Amino acid sequence: MFRRYLIKRILNGIFIYVVLIFLYSLLFNTTNEKTMKDQIEESIRVEASKLKNFTSDQVQKHILERRAFKYRIYHLDRPFFERVIWRTIDTLVFRFGNSTNILSARGDREVLRIVLEVMPRTILLFTTGILFEVGLGIWLGLKMAQKAGGPLDRTTSVMTMIVEGMPTWWLGMLMIMLFAYLVPIFPSGGMHRLPPPHGVLRIVDLLYHMALPLITLVFINTWAVAFLTRNIVLGILQEDYIMAARARGLPERRVLFGHTMRTAAPPITTIALLSLLASVFGNIVFEGIYSWPGMGNLYWVAVQRNDLPVLMGLLSVTTGLYVAGLVALDLIYGLLDPRIKVGGRA
Amino acid sequence: MRGENLSYWLKDFWSEFRKNTSGLVGLAFLGLFAAAAIFEPLLIPFAETNRKWRDITYWDDNPKSAPPAWTNWFASRKSAVSTVLRASETTEERSDGVRLVRHSFAYAFSYDRPPLDIIVHFKGSGNIPLIVGVQRPDGAELELFREQATVNDGEDVRIPLGKAAKSAVFDFAKGYEPEEATADIDIGQIRSVNVLFARAQEGMLARPEPLRGRYTFTLTVMLLDEASRIDEPRVVISGGVSGILGTDNSKRDLWSGMIAGVKWALLIGLLTAFVAVALGVVYGIVSAYFGGWVDAVMQRVFEIFVNMPLLPILIVMSAVFRPSIWFMILMMSAFFWVGPVKTVRAIALQIKEETYIEASRALGAGSARIIFRHMVPLLVPYSFASMALYVPGAVVYEATVSLLGLGDARIVTWGQLLRDALGGGAVLNGLWWWVVPPGISIALMGMTFAFIGFAMDKILHPKLRTR
Repeated sequence: MFRRYLIKRILNGIFIYVVLIFLYSLLFNTTNEKTMKDQIEESIRVEASKLKNFTSDQVQKHILERRAFKYRIYHLDRPFFERVIWRTIDTLVFRFGNSTNILSARGDREVLRIVLEVMPRTILLFTTGILFEVGLGIWLGLKMAQKAGGPLDRTTSVMTMIVEGMPTWWLGMLMIMLFAYLVPIFPSGGMHRLPPPHGVLRIVDLLYHMALPLITLVFINTWAVAFLTRNIVLGILQEDYIMAARARGLPERRVLFGHTMRTAAPPITTIALLSLLASVFGNIVFEGIYSWPGMGNLYWVAVQRNDLPVLMGLLSVTTGLYVAGLVALDLIYGLLDPRIKVGGRA
Repeated sequence: MRGENLSYWLKDFWSEFRKNTSGLVGLAFLGLFAAAAIFEPLLIPFAETNRKWRDITYWDDNPKSAPPAWTNWFASRKSAVSTVLRASETTEERSDGVRLVRHSFAYAFSYDRPPLDIIVHFKGSGNIPLIVGVQRPDGAELELFREQATVNDGEDVRIPLGKAAKSAVFDFAKGYEPEEATADIDIGQIRSVNVLFARAQEGMLARPEPLRGRYTFTLTVMLLDEASRIDEPRVVISGGVSGILGTDNSKRDLWSGMIAGVKWALLIGLLTAFVAVALGVVYGIVSAYFGGWVDAVMQRVFEIFVNMPLLPILIVMSAVFRPSIWFMILMMSAFFWVGPVKTVRAIALQIKEETYIEASRALGAGSARIIFRHMVPLLVPYSFASMALYVPGAVVYEATVSLLGLGDARIVTWGQLLRDALGGGAVLNGLWWWVVPPGISIALMGMTFAFIGFAMDKILHPKLRTR
């Protein structure tokens, strides 16, 4: 049963991704084509300047031929709708083309490579963050639920609302000012010290550079997870079977972890992960503050240098990751909560 | 009948809301923000902040990167506070058709650090010989600057004494310094304002000690004919500390920028939330009401929107289209509407089955009438509560897009202040007065609406009340 659900959900995810890419191609068609044409013109100009022993007429003719040829292979001579379809297909098979000025570490201008280069760093930072956030958040939420209405519960509820509208990147700026300028105990940014050390030291150095961004992320996101856990756990604690367990004289720890968490785990995990996933993509530019060389930072660089091909490639990859994340969440939920698998319908 | 219903409902609502402390706190903050937006002209010292935020000359008289004035309370050595002096006394003498007008400006100096610069300003017209002088607390009178100014009609004349009075101040100091000390001093290196406010003694050029007391600056002009005139004479003291929130590295007054940003934050947040929720509620109801294939299609469209990573799309769209603030609000609304759809659809599915809907359909009411007269009003309370919850998101997103430099360059928003702060090196130079206030305001704005939203949510969904 679960396999059917799995396949259905994955196919659905792919369908949505294709539609989204199509929408992007439609929306940004004019800009994309302008960049493509500019790039074609540039490459033709370079070619033409290499031509020797040609009369100007011949050069002119050559340019026209080359242009027509390039337009044909990139389908720029087709009607509008067909061009959009071709752009969609290009994006779907990861043919993002070349950047206008950003270079990959190896020095080439292939957008796909540039994006793939930075992707692992973003994943590293944010997954580590999510692990801490979920762990800490659930622990804190349980503490809150145990003594609902107590001082801890109240403070945490207020904190949830205080950080609700606080931009992560702003907190990042503050953190840098506090811990890199005022009390210089952390580096102000980057991923490694220069030149990067080798071996075990390299990992230590990485963790050292990751500390401040991580603290920032965890500080902003943990409260909401805690608040959510508290609400769900509190709801379950009022159920009859908890009362029964307590009446049987089970120790409170077992009631909490054995009985309550068994029921609370699926919704907490999924809702928490969902909100965290949203927060990852809502806070991605925060990397730029710490010059953490991930996708968020690449958004900054691409915007600053007005590199549209990189932006477009980045957007497609980001969307892919987001959709994949949502699919994965649904699957996790299906695994944790047996009720979901059966009908496939809520 | 309808009006009575509404007022009854509001009364009921208010009596519930009053019990919620955090809701009241939120409401109080909202009141503060609204007041700041309404009374903006009274609150900001620089009246043309909105129009001239990016006009460097407008801010030229301010000190650069100066901390707020109140930091003096905590400083061991007090800096002079930036201020504008108006003429305290004006005398006019007339002889042979020539008027000799003399404006005096009293300045009480009681700090440890002298001002950074003193700037004499006036507007006027004609060919005007002028003299700027000062009388120091120790009785010394100095002529600082003398010029034959040619002023076009209404033009603003600006005389920065830091530059203009160098030689006069040097001559004054020479009277107290031993000759060998002054011999090899480069006149261009003299900080004339520091010397002007220094005790007249040996070493006043190298190690000036502040001389506290009452300084009187004078601007004496000779008006040669009846057409010549000068208006609005003033002396700007450009101090080491300035205003309520200090200045940035382009000399802009940050308090003015902050207050000017309030109305935009409110507008962006509320308008986006309103449009988005209105769209979402109608979408959800229509989807539920018609059911069948309409519902199926609408849910698919909804699903696609849910799967969009909002901020990245906003960034790319802003980078491509360079939107104005209004287009920005529209773009955000176009993505935020998905929020309430699911709940609204669920509620609407229940309402749809009520007998009175069936009754009105039997009476021949059209779909539009049923939806807007019988279903939408029932969802108004819910939509209000959820509206409040979308405001923080909208404000933060606009700030983030502005942070990347893609904001509307014709307005002042908190996000743009933070972008300038980041670009201006405020973070690594510790200019906290530039970084902290805009961020706090964004967070406060978010908190305000979170408080209100959660409070309303609790009242409108009693099931969520946990205790």
